[in-house]
Amino acid sequence: MLRESSQQGGTLDSLNLHGAVNPEADSGVPYGSLLTAFAEAAVRQTDALPGLRERIASEMGPQELVDAAGVVANFQRMVRIADGCGIPLDDYTKAATDDVRGELGLYEFASAANTV
Amino acid sequence: MTTTTAPFTYANTTWPVLERISVFHQRSWERLAAPGAWWNGAERVTIAAECRRASALVDGLPDPGPGPAELPEAAVFAIHKLIGDLPNVTREWYDETISAPGMSDAHYIELLGVVVHVWSVDEFHRALDIDLELLPDPIPGEPTRIRPSGAKAHGSWPPTVRPEDLDERDADIYQGAEYAANVRAAMSLHPDSVRWLAELFDAHYLSWIEIQSVQEPFRVLTRPQRELVAARVSALNECFY
Repeated sequence: MLRESSQQGGTLDSLNLHGAVNPEADSGVPYGSLLTAFAEAAVRQTDALPGLRERIASEMGPQELVDAAGVVANFQRMVRIADGCGIPLDDYTKAATDDVRGELGLYEFASAANTV
Repeated sequence: MTTTTAPFTYANTTWPVLERISVFHQRSWERLAAPGAWWNGAERVTIAAECRRASALVDGLPDPGPGPAELPEAAVFAIHKLIGDLPNVTREWYDETISAPGMSDAHYIELLGVVVHVWSVDEFHRALDIDLELLPDPIPGEPTRIRPSGAKAHGSWPPTVRPEDLDERDADIYQGAEYAANVRAAMSLHPDSVRWLAELFDAHYLSWIEIQSVQEPFRVLTRPQRELVAARVSALNECFY
């Protein structure tokens, strides 16, 4: 899904996906580290969440915070649809992402057995 | 924490929640309360309540309490599994679940639809420290028990319906698209869940049309920022898809 959306938006070249899997990696995206930290705190409901909320609001803007919360909420939903239904990769997605999935170590995820 | 005085008005939060999000969240509660195809309104609200119990259990919070109806044991277990043990959801578990008393593949998909949509609305609130909305009162009525005639095996665990196989009453669910990606079609055994998905997908992320083109100007995160957050959430959930 990520690959499809990014490719269609013409933005994948500016996005280092290692930043999504490894928080220490530079995603190459402005405020990327702040956004991934917020995503992790929101998903795991950690004590860091209030501070990250305030940082996004002050450094990026309150609308950006609301937008980020929406994306977190969306993918908390989408992953459960995908893994709850054991959906296979779409053919074009599989062909287009096999290299990057291996590079990112996604085949180590338990859910890979349901999807490939 | 903040409180709201009417469903999803966001009047008392300091964060600028867009009107369109408010509208789609209100619509979500209307969908939740209404009888579905395989569960009645009270059962659907109870699925939502159990979803919140599962979430509270994961977060170590007090039990918010059960809903107004009884659910099959396998349904309760499925809700907790989907919320708190997603990486261990397997084909074998799915097959056992849909074969349990009171369950079927269609019951499971409608249950999944309620769980994921209520969960994502709640996750939006938790991310912004906004109190969870009270669950709605169920709307009386019986489930329709209508199963799409074009549902077939297409590689997902449950049967799905491709655009060319839609019944006339469900012709709108893919908004005219001639192709539906597997994740979009995943819940098509319960067409209202596909409609619900389209609404919240648009409210929280992008419309299905924007996915294949440019995003609307009101979305303030750039596309790479949006995709990075999406990928991080997926990775944290160990979601391969």
